[in-house]
This record gives sequence, structure tokens and C-alpha cells, in this order.
Amino acid sequence: MAIAAPGQLNLHESPSWGSRSVDCFEKLEQIGEGTYGQVYMAREIKTGEIVALKKIRMDNEREGFPITAIREIKILKKLHHENVIKLKEIVTSPGPEKDEQGRPGKYLLRMRNGNKYKGGIYMVFEYMDHDLTGLADRPGMRFSVPQIKCYMRQLLTGLHYCHVNQVLHRDIKGSNLLIDNEGNLKLADFGLARSFSNDHNANLTNRVITLWYRPPELLLGTTKYGPAVDMWSVGCIFAELLHGKPIFPGKDEPEQLNKIFELCGAPDEVNWPGVSKIPWYNNLKPTRPMKRRLREVFRHFDRHALELLERMLTLDPSQRISAKDALDAEYFWTDPLPCDPKSLPKYESSHEFQTKKKRQQQRQHEETAKRQKLQHPQQHGRLPPIQQSGQAHAQMRPGPNQPPMHGSQAPVAAGPSHHYGKPRGPSGGPGRYPPSGNPGGGYTHQNRGGQGGGSGYSSGPYPPQGRGAPYGSSGMPGAAPRGGGGSGYGVGAPNYPQNGPYGGSNAGRGSNMMGGNRNQQYGWQQ
Amino acid sequence: MAANFWTSSHYKQLLDQEEVDVVHPLDKEKGITLAEFKLLKMHMANYIWKLATHVKVRQRVVATAVTYMRRVYTRKSLSEYDPRHVAPTCLYLAAKAEESTVQARLLVFYVKKMPTDEKFRFEIKDVLEMEMKILEAINYYLVVFHPYRSLSQLLQDAALNDISMTQLTWGLVNDTYRMDLILVHPPHLIALACIYIASVLRDKDTTSWFEELRVDMNVVKNISIEILDFYENHRINMEERLNVAMAKLGSTIHNLEILQLTPTSY
Repeated sequence: MAIAAPGQLNLHESPSWGSRSVDCFEKLEQIGEGTYGQVYMAREIKTGEIVALKKIRMDNEREGFPITAIREIKILKKLHHENVIKLKEIVTSPGPEKDEQGRPGKYLLRMRNGNKYKGGIYMVFEYMDHDLTGLADRPGMRFSVPQIKCYMRQLLTGLHYCHVNQVLHRDIKGSNLLIDNEGNLKLADFGLARSFSNDHNANLTNRVITLWYRPPELLLGTTKYGPAVDMWSVGCIFAELLHGKPIFPGKDEPEQLNKIFELCGAPDEVNWPGVSKIPWYNNLKPTRPMKRRLREVFRHFDRHALELLERMLTLDPSQRISAKDALDAEYFWTDPLPCDPKSLPKYESSHEFQTKKKRQQQRQHEETAKRQKLQHPQQHGRLPPIQQSGQAHAQMRPGPNQPPMHGSQAPVAAGPSHHYGKPRGPSGGPGRYPPSGNPGGGYTHQNRGGQGGGSGYSSGPYPPQGRGAPYGSSGMPGAAPRGGGGSGYGVGAPNYPQNGPYGGSNAGRGSNMMGGNRNQQYGWQQ
Repeated sequence: MAANFWTSSHYKQLLDQEEVDVVHPLDKEKGITLAEFKLLKMHMANYIWKLATHVKVRQRVVATAVTYMRRVYTRKSLSEYDPRHVAPTCLYLAAKAEESTVQARLLVFYVKKMPTDEKFRFEIKDVLEMEMKILEAINYYLVVFHPYRSLSQLLQDAALNDISMTQLTWGLVNDTYRMDLILVHPPHLIALACIYIASVLRDKDTTSWFEELRVDMNVVKNISIEILDFYENHRINMEERLNVAMAKLGSTIHNLEILQLTPTSY
């Protein structure tokens, strides 16, 4: 190991033990912000490699190194799979506190002054361009059926691997599914994950999983559960991909449960033996009988998709399909088959942190525009997949090197929310939500505002350049149906018109394609 | 066994005996010999075990804590990493990592209840400070596989899972944490060595069962010999030798209570 001169940083050699300094990386920009800490895109100085740095927040920790970080590190160090995010290393900051022998010198003094490791500890991850929610929320984005199958299969493969290795993810949701421009999907954010034993005897907390993706057994207060909790979340994501928007957007636990019962029927001892013994069942059980309406509501779904969804959104966790069985479902083995990840289009990456700023600017812009009455409000729902998949799919898959279809058009920026350290709801700590209050509300609104229900952010979908004209008037093929679809979706009716405005919009996604230009993807110096 | 040992960091981190048996230069300066180094680590393992009975954590946590401690001292010196801080903090960290969190304040409370000299100060901030140093020293490798799980599976497989054999082998496995075996050998081989010793002691014929296992019996025998040597060595003058080693370290750990080693299995 080359020894740096005193007072100088040794940036170019990894120490033979311990962790490297964060100074080995050059922070490029912040791409996320959460209660957990900030997330940066960074470049390793020595190799030029782009990584994501997730800061572990140490202030405010009475119990030292956060147990959530311990769980995540422990779990990520034992999981090695192409569909699980890779933790490359852990680095600490900053370096200068150590003398050249690597002995803690001032370092300790600083800690004794109550400033312990204030510089921070960072987890270094491989960099991923998108997350599923962000990608799906791009204005005009529509996934093709083979693309959905491709993502779903990767999601299930990664999750099956976790479950085989006795790890529950416990926070499966779109923004934790990272996607790179090779079409690879990886599970990320294992901050709520933990190991389980097969006997399900351990008591686990039921305050996990983002509300919209939380299964009924957790909402009913069970503390003994297993991999089925993740499978419910997968079902929610699957339905969301097919439906075009979240299917259970509850504001609080009771409403969440109610939304589930409205679609999946009320649980009873017949369809879910043992349900009445779950702690809060008597307080939360539905007051009126409710029939399962899943098949009816989603009757327009492909038959095999609906079959699989039925088995994922099964109320009784013991009857819910496992990741392994889901991978064997007809859905993945009938035409159109899942596509090769590499064949998927490449999209410009963007990050929630920036997107939020841009949204604010857009809102201001929109205010101005409104005052000038130049603009009519427009909402962008997320678009369901193209139904006539065979033909559409061919068009949906430009080769990786194909130039952008609308090269002259500015990239659409209201895109992905990023993931690595997304906000964890209103409060910190291992539990996602404060014991009372409005779980999910703050978080989901922050992240998802402008999509679907389209609360206050009708300006979301606009590009940052602030073009005055809505897409409808841009004269692109497929643009008009997209606009129409957006407004159709904002209503929030559970039933979406099958042959609605999307019928002829095969070319609808062209405007988002960015081609395969790496420089464009990493357009950080904007 | 959670996850697969063979793909785990634990497996990749297995060391050669020669790598473990290195006295850090700073400790060497103080005249610590290899034998004394081992003795001191054993003493710390005992201390952790004893502290854990007060704090009331699962055995697995203790085993993990001892492993962390041993991992720390493959890289760090006793002189710099004060064993009085390292030992309880390893328990603190292991409790977190094994999902049986112990509050720092409680840990400090129990540490103070352990026999100690009056000058020794150990406060919450010491735990938190040392925790970071330990995490860095073990390079955040927190996963440890223990022989216990393979032990019960193997005993069952060999139809030796009666109470007497279970207790004997379990005690032997506990005692292996007084050595560095967990840093050097895969846990199932440690379990097998304990079964081997126990079956000899209890006169059980396991020859054919071992033959069918298709494991390297030389390794198993070597581990067994090491365990037996350990018992042999530590019968004589334990306390005296420990005092000598501690004196060399100066005041560093002389206040750790000296525990009489009583092999659980003899």
C-alpha cells in the first residue's frame, strides 16, 4: 500500500483492512433524500465507475449504528444475485482524521467531542438508471406486454432468491425496484428486510411495507408471517402495471383494508381459515358483506395475467402463490413471451430529487400560465400496457443503438423518482409510519403527486422547458390518444375502459426514447 | 442455516491458522507471546459468555459476539483495541445483528455489575465509539454461520440425538468458541469434530456414518485434536498464566474477572 504523505489523502490505494474513505469518490449530484439519509450519484476517481452512495445517518442515533443499516448490510452481504442490488463496499468519511499508519488519531478526539462519525458512513451501490415507479410515471410511458412480463419475471426471480435465502424484503414497491438501461431489474432497499426462519414462530413487526402494498394480514395485525407478505406487494405492482395506476391507494390503515376488501372480498373463516384469530380482526372486519370483484374489475386483463393476479392477491397468505410457483405460471410461458431485458428501450435517467425541484419550477410556471389563461389543466395518468401486444411490441423495441425517434425533441423530464434513499414516510426510525396519523400520506403524495389521482400537481407531466402547448397539439402520432388517456385516468374509477383511447396509439411512446447514448443517460451536468 | 454458507462472506473470510496466529506488532512489543494472545482471547470469550448470562441473550448472539471479537483481533492489537471495551461492545453489536437488540444503557449497567476495578470507566459513549471501530475492523462482515444448526441436523442424521449426546456435543461446540476454530473452519466440520469426540467419549460407533458423509476426515480429526489439546493445555496453571499475560499488557485488562476454565464436557 502506498503511504500518502502526512496530511495528504491516500486516494489511490485501498487500505488492506478497514474501509476506504468516501474521498475515493467524487460526488456528482444528489439523487435522493430520505429520512435514512442522502443518496448521491458519484464517480469512483480511480476507475471512473459510476456508483450510488447512500449515506447512513448517524446523528440522532441513541443506539449507535442504526439497526436498519445493520440489517441491510448483513442481508446484502449475503445475497448475490443478478436481480438483487449489489452492495459494493462501505466507505467512511472523511479520511484526514487518520494518521499515516491508519491509526485513529484526531478521529477519536472528534468523536469524543460528541461528533462521532458525523462525517458519515456511506454504502456504495452499483448505479441504476431508474426505478419502476419513476419509469412507469414518465408521461406517456406505456410498457408493452413482453416488457411487463420481463420485469415481473425478474422481480419474481430476485424475490424467489431472497425467499430461498430466508430473507423477507418487506418493502416491495415500484420505487424499490431499480432498472438499468440494460433492462435489468434489481430489488433494492433492504432497510426493512430481515431474515426469517421457516417455522414462522418469531414475532415480527407488522409495521412494515408501504401502505399501498401492505397485505391484509399485516393490516389485521399479525406478527407471524412469511414470504407471502412480499407476494402480496408483487401482486399490487403487477396489477398496477396492467391497470396503469396503483390499485389500493389507501390513506390510512382502515381505508387501506377497506380498499382491499372492496376488490378482494371480505375475509371469513371459509376463504381464510384462522382469520378471526388475527389480533385486530374484530375491530377491523368489514361491517357489510363484500364479494370478491377482482375478476370483474380486471376482466379486460389477459386471461393468464388475471389468473396469476388472482393467486397473488389471495387474502389468505397460506394460499397465496409463492414466487417459485408464480414463475411457473402460464402467464410467463404463453405468447407474447417475456422479452429479453437487453431488447428493452433505453430511457433517460432522472432522479426524484431533481424532479421535485423541477416540479416546483413547473408549478410556478403553471401558475403564471394560468394567470395568463394560456393553458388548460391536463392530467397524466399512468398508461396501461398496450393490449394488442404482438404488433405493438415490435414497435416498442428499438434496438439499443437506434436513434431516438424524436431526436429533436427535448427529453421529458418529469420522470423517475429515485429510490436508493427515498423518503421513508413522515418519521424516521425502523417503523415506516408513526404509530398514529396518516401513514403513507406524506410520502406517497410527495412521490406520486401528479400521477393518477393527480391531486395538486397537474403540472407534473410538463417538460421543464415549459412548453406552453400540451402534448395533444404537438402533432406526433399517438400524442392525442395519450393526452386523452391521461384525463380518462385521473378520475380514479376502478374500472378502466378496455378499448378506450389507447386503441390506436402504437407509436405513443416514441417521444421518450433516448437511444443508447450513455452521456445522455448520465446527463448530470444540466 | 440462513443463506448458503458457501456463498457467504463467512466462507470467503475463512482464514488459515497461520493468519490467525499472528501477534500484532504492538502487542509483541509488550512481550505478548502467541500462547498468551490465545489465552487472552479465550479469557475475553469467557467474559462475553458470562456477561451474556446477565444480559440474557440467546446463545447464538454470544457465539456471534465472540466471533466478532476474534475477527477484530486478526487485524487489530490488544493494545489499541482495549479488550474491556471490545468484549462488551461485540455483544452489543452481535445482539443487533442477530435481532435481539440490547440497549446500550442496559449493557453498561450489566458491565458495571461485573467484577471490575474501580478505575474502570465504561459509559454508553464508549459502547457507541467502539461499535464503529469494530464495524470498521471487521469490514462490516456481520454474518456468522455457527455449528449449532448443522450439529442438530447431523445428530439427527446419525441417530445420536438423545439428550445425553445432544448436551455433550452442544457443550463441546460452546467450548470451541474459546478457540479460533470459527475463523478457520467451516461450521459443519466443527460440528462433526464435536460429534466425533463425543462419540469416542460415549463409546458410540459412528465409523460407518462418518464414512458415508464424504467429508475430509483428516480435517475433522485435526479439529478434534485441536479441541482435545485445548482441554489438555488449559488444565494446568491457567490462572497464573493469564495473570502473567495481563501484566504484560499493563493495566489494560487486569480487571477482567479471571474465570476458572471448567470445560463443560469433561
